[in-house]
Amino acid sequence: MAQPPIRIPLSQLARGQRATVECSALDSLPNEHRCLLAAMGMGEQCEVRVCRPGTPCIVQIDRTRLGLPHGIADRIMVTPIESTSP
Amino acid sequence: MIPRIALLGNPNTGKSTLFNRLCGLRSKTANFPGSTVEHQVGRCVTKSGQEMDLIDLPGIYSLMLEMPESRLCADCLDGRVGDGRPDAALLVLDANNLSRNLQFAASALRRGLPSVVAINMVDLAERRGLIIDERAASQALGVPVVAVSARSGQGIDRLIEQLTRTAMSSATPNPDKAFPTTEPGSTASAVWAADVFAQIAAHPDEKNDDRMTIHDRLDAAFTHPLLGIVFFVLMMSLLFASIYWLAQFPMEAVDGIFGWLGHGVESMMPAGTLRDLTVNGIVGGVSATVVFLPQILLLFFLLALLEDSGYLARAAFAVDRTMRRFGLPGQAFMPLLSSHACALPGIMATRLIPNHRDRLATILVAPFMSCSARVPVYALLTGVLFAGRPLAAGFAFTGCYVLGGVVGLATAALLRKTILRGPSTPMMLELPDYRLPSIRNALTIAMDRGMLFLKNAGSVILSIAIVMWWLSAYPKSPPNPESVAIELRAVEVAQTDPTAAENLRSQAERLNERTQQSGSFAGQLGAIFQPAFAPIGLDRQLTVAVLTSFLAREVFTTTVFVLAGAGSDADGEDQGTLATVRSATRDDGLPLFTMATSASLLIFFVLAMQCLPTLVVVAKETGSWRWPLLQFCYMTFIAYTAAFFAYRLMS
Repeated sequence: MAQPPIRIPLSQLARGQRATVECSALDSLPNEHRCLLAAMGMGEQCEVRVCRPGTPCIVQIDRTRLGLPHGIADRIMVTPIESTSP
Repeated sequence: MIPRIALLGNPNTGKSTLFNRLCGLRSKTANFPGSTVEHQVGRCVTKSGQEMDLIDLPGIYSLMLEMPESRLCADCLDGRVGDGRPDAALLVLDANNLSRNLQFAASALRRGLPSVVAINMVDLAERRGLIIDERAASQALGVPVVAVSARSGQGIDRLIEQLTRTAMSSATPNPDKAFPTTEPGSTASAVWAADVFAQIAAHPDEKNDDRMTIHDRLDAAFTHPLLGIVFFVLMMSLLFASIYWLAQFPMEAVDGIFGWLGHGVESMMPAGTLRDLTVNGIVGGVSATVVFLPQILLLFFLLALLEDSGYLARAAFAVDRTMRRFGLPGQAFMPLLSSHACALPGIMATRLIPNHRDRLATILVAPFMSCSARVPVYALLTGVLFAGRPLAAGFAFTGCYVLGGVVGLATAALLRKTILRGPSTPMMLELPDYRLPSIRNALTIAMDRGMLFLKNAGSVILSIAIVMWWLSAYPKSPPNPESVAIELRAVEVAQTDPTAAENLRSQAERLNERTQQSGSFAGQLGAIFQPAFAPIGLDRQLTVAVLTSFLAREVFTTTVFVLAGAGSDADGEDQGTLATVRSATRDDGLPLFTMATSASLLIFFVLAMQCLPTLVVVAKETGSWRWPLLQFCYMTFIAYTAAFFAYRLMS
């Protein structure tokens, strides 16, 4: 039986690690923050790459880089993607 | 009628660069009635002479967000603000970030305004191998699409042509086009954008490379808790050293031009009230405002370069942690630091702060930072306090800066816990790509800010400068009998000793100035207010000096020299002048400056809101006189209380 995907807070990803922002990943955030993040590119099913963990947590989505405070990154649940780099 | 076109787009799409490219210097900053969110309005003139008014709205991520900027853009497109609906919209998209930008374009196109889409920064995209198919994009979006580079000018002529055609024809977007009905960021919107992107762009196959890029390394360094602060301090030291060093030349030139103008007017007009008003009221008042212009132009020019380079967004994160402890966001650091040069540009720079409460708290504490106008006052009073002890004077000088900073931050923390209580917006910022900043763009921004400063501050300050001149010039006092005797002596010795005669004439002039000072309305006000200042050790003369310095702090030194009979041309560094000030006496014969009085005055000047132009700019920036009045009251209260305790302790 397939294991359900592991979901962890975005803040726990290491530098260079990729992850998918799942549906309801932003649910624990206040509505205005959720809407702003979605409009900035962090919508459902988008893929993020961590450029800098910690505070600020800098992530890349497509060609956009977003800086997030640790408190926000801690509340965004993501599913890590296995690395494809050699 | 001239068509009106609204410019819309995400932040960092080069929208303002495109606006500046289309309008050049034919633009001005404006606010819609009832809104403090500003926008630019400019006129674009085509080669055929057709004119169009462009409204550069603030960069937003969605028209539906609960943010003032989003609401303003939506209201503008729907005709709820300004002069009704614009005739057309120019949507600016970033070619390097098309998926997200297309989602925003769809939500704007749903509003049904005749529109043109400009896909900006295509030169950068082409370097990555991304080719935009304009025709396919036009078909997919149902409106004309032009690929441009606002920086290099590529495609600008075709954009103007297309914009003119659309604005004149009022052609609405193709109604057959089915745009997603959900907002940018939703799954439906993202799927639609991905589909359109696939149709219009031939994109390179970018591998998922998990290795650190140069961007990652720079970001890690610039936002590092320690290294980031070191970089920031270095960068800001360089910035302010440049401003101090570079601004001194144009400031001296401005001062010289107005001095020359004053002398010119003085020699052309007959002596009398009109000449006094023109020379001391109007020319003096305008000069007091315009002299700050070089600092403001330089500050905004250099800030625009830093912002354009992509560094400023990273710097905001570097200082955010420290500033949060005082209830301020990272973006507040820059305005507070700018206030050390002059509070006026510092307060204007608070526009970088998105949260209203954060911005207000920053504006309210910015004048605590020791500005350059306080320097002559600090130099004079520390020189008097620590005569012959330059090291101690130097420490006291530095202490003034520290005291202002500490009280400012403590006040910010207090304000955010009381009248400005409310959640701080966590700093979620898009970090733009690093790039070579555009000089042309920075120049346009600096010119715009300079004009705004002159317009906002100049008119009110000039009126008040005239009132202040009148208060200190009237009623005219008869010549001091002692000065008459000195002048007679000067006439007697003129033949035998011209130098001594000249000195005597200067002495007589100073005596007359002193008599005029005490007899004027300002002097009379000094006598009335003196009991209020007595607890902090000020006599009538020093009360007059404090009251007159309300127009500008540096006036204090001039007034003190005049009152002390030391002349008004000293800069506070001349030991002879300091000695004269130290030996100056009150009306009752006691020393004017005791240790206690000097310490009390020094603390008062560090903490008091002794700057009329700052109050005017705060009123303009906050849209109300309520905030500057509150600021004046609490700063005066803090300054007075601290000066009182200093005076009591030292007495």
